[in-house]
Amino acid sequence: MTKAGASEVGDLMDWQNRFISENLRSVFRTIYRIVGNVVDAQDLTQETFIKALQREAQLKDSAKAAQWLGRIATNTAIDFLRRRGRWEPLPLEAMVEPQPEEPQASPEQMVLNAELRSYLADGLRLLTARERVALILRDVEGLPAEEVARRLGCSKATVRSHIANARIKFRRYMEGRRR
Amino acid sequence: MKHPGEIRLTLYAGGELGWWEQFALTRHLHRCPACRRRVEMYRNDRKVISEALTGSDEFADWERLAAEMTANIHLGLAAGECVEQARAERTRPRWQRAIILAPIVLPVLVLAVVLLRMGQNPTATGKMDWVEGTLIETTGGSIEWRQGTAGLSLQIPPGGAVTYLVNARGEVRARYVDEETGQVTIHNVYAQ
Repeated sequence: MTKAGASEVGDLMDWQNRFISENLRSVFRTIYRIVGNVVDAQDLTQETFIKALQREAQLKDSAKAAQWLGRIATNTAIDFLRRRGRWEPLPLEAMVEPQPEEPQASPEQMVLNAELRSYLADGLRLLTARERVALILRDVEGLPAEEVARRLGCSKATVRSHIANARIKFRRYMEGRRR
Repeated sequence: MKHPGEIRLTLYAGGELGWWEQFALTRHLHRCPACRRRVEMYRNDRKVISEALTGSDEFADWERLAAEMTANIHLGLAAGECVEQARAERTRPRWQRAIILAPIVLPVLVLAVVLLRMGQNPTATGKMDWVEGTLIETTGGSIEWRQGTAGLSLQIPPGGAVTYLVNARGEVRARYVDEETGQVTIHNVYAQ
């Protein structure tokens, strides 16, 4: 390898490392919220970055890098949810993997939080992959409906339909559990 | 009083309705406690989901997790490059493949054309008939056809033992084994 070649490879590695470290946490967090466990979120985050960096030539506008990456992450997560199927229970190893940190929570609070998360996770499993992703991007990530539509590659009207269906299904689930 | 549907109520709770729809629904909610309660429930659901999922965002040992993912991403990219190189080798341009295959394919093609032309003799039938004035002979390193002044020679690669067989129907057969590859080649030459 020539000196210029080595320097180019070094620059590329630097750029890739910067790109990864700037976006890793947000991509991981979004995917984690969608799939609901650390192990799968870790795999899908890696897959997202590999796909993105293999197609880096398409990334002409670095200012839009996060949006572009978000779209790849969303599609990767949707594909995963479809592959896994809505009703498949989470694998056991996913439940004993690194747990979210709750430094100020008392043991009682931690149990309550874990129960609440499990209860919500059951409700989210009733939704289709696209309904679930639309709901999380809109209500948890707080993205505007236009951006959710861009990420899902559909119209704003379709996003509104996914969101409304998701909220109604979730409400019925809550009401059904209360009875 | 006509009540709005569930879909409109849930979109109102999330602020996804257009300006006019929002305005009309706000007016209805002022007068309708039942719909107001539904909207409040949907707002509360959004809050519960959001708090539960955002509250679980801080991960123990994030640094280790991030380092592991970064290393795996680089590994995946390197593996991808290897696969891409192998794929590029396999998908060599057609003209390059043609140059490589030409020395093998051309002699076979020439022989096939000659045999076809000989086979286009209008008197030829499925039955093998001896063609008057045609001579087929072996000369040690080749099999030769001759008819009048025209002739064709099939060269046998030098080295290695060649077995020639001539039968009563005028066929000449050459059989030899390639010493390097162990491949057996049989040439069966006859006039028709």
